[in-house]
Amino acid sequence: MNLPAVSPDAPPSNVCGRTTSITLFTTQKPWGRFWMPFMFTLTRAAPKSLEAMDKLSFISFASWSLIRELPYNGPPQTVRRLRYPHLFFEVSFNGSWAQYIDSSVRVLTTGMYTFWGSSRRFPGPLPAGPFQAFFKVHEVDASHYHCAYPDATVTIVRSALELEERLEMFAHRVRHLPEEQFDAAWDAFIEDAQRYL
Amino acid sequence: MRSPNIAGKTYSLMIWTPIKPGEEGALRAYLDGLDNGAGSPLAKLPRTHMARWIVVPDMPVAPGTDLRDPLGTQFLLFTSNLDGDVDSYLHELVALMAVEAAEVWGHCVGCPQPAEGVALKAYLHRNQVDSGVAFAAYPNASVKQIKTALDKRARLIDFAVRAQEMKPAERRKEFLEQFGAA
Repeated sequence: MNLPAVSPDAPPSNVCGRTTSITLFTTQKPWGRFWMPFMFTLTRAAPKSLEAMDKLSFISFASWSLIRELPYNGPPQTVRRLRYPHLFFEVSFNGSWAQYIDSSVRVLTTGMYTFWGSSRRFPGPLPAGPFQAFFKVHEVDASHYHCAYPDATVTIVRSALELEERLEMFAHRVRHLPEEQFDAAWDAFIEDAQRYL
Repeated sequence: MRSPNIAGKTYSLMIWTPIKPGEEGALRAYLDGLDNGAGSPLAKLPRTHMARWIVVPDMPVAPGTDLRDPLGTQFLLFTSNLDGDVDSYLHELVALMAVEAAEVWGHCVGCPQPAEGVALKAYLHRNQVDSGVAFAAYPNASVKQIKTALDKRARLIDFAVRAQEMKPAERRKEFLEQFGAA
């Protein structure tokens, strides 16, 4: 699934070019302390479980973590162990904030229960409205966000990587072809490469 | 089983450092003032795909709930999706982004003074928190590979448009000049 280009609806500090970031902390229910590490282990053991996310084609990077305590650096830092475990989630994607939530809940409905079900006040993924409100309340804005290739969407990056491989093979193949044969080969190549341009 | 911080050849880094009480405003102002494009200090780290600094004042809580979980001090959260291993990345960070790193983490509790070199790298290492699971859409492509591929794609589009008006000999010649060593 590809999202159409739209104006960003996130604060400017969360946006870099066509890429938007979300950073979220949600308080866990008591059983989340055990459930989330189990889910993480399961997901790492079977990375295919993230395939649905991969198919969305607008998420470039994401990570989840369970925060139970924070590194201690001595006074004046006072707190080390938190009252509750918190699920940390960060994601970089292209498209608008609202579209990201809307498309994610529709495509990843089951995954949403898996990852957010142990969060307090999780309203369920559908309808999208309450889930958007859940995200808004638990989001923390970036102070500075940088992307190395800000104008390239996930689809463009994937296309460019695929195209480069094909271009390399084509260039190697036609290096010694005479003009008339090169022309025919070029026409065939460019027709095939259309989907990556 | 893969490491919690790794997705393919990329690494998901997360560092939490407490901000010195009273210095939150100065740190926020500094971060807010940074250019987030090519002028970003993070652009000096060639292995960085995406990275962010976030000042976390407290854990967000839904209104009307009794779930407050005070952090005591505000925290600076730094996350980065990078190529390769974290040790050499932090080495690059303190070397290539020395001035800005000192400015940023110099506002944090426990940061060595001066905030630089091996001591700063050790401080950042010590404050790393592992991810649970990481996802990358193109896990085996480095920043360098992506930038090169994007550049070639842009040049090929430009060439394909211009090639329509070229004579066959010219088309072949220019293609091989531009992409022959692709």
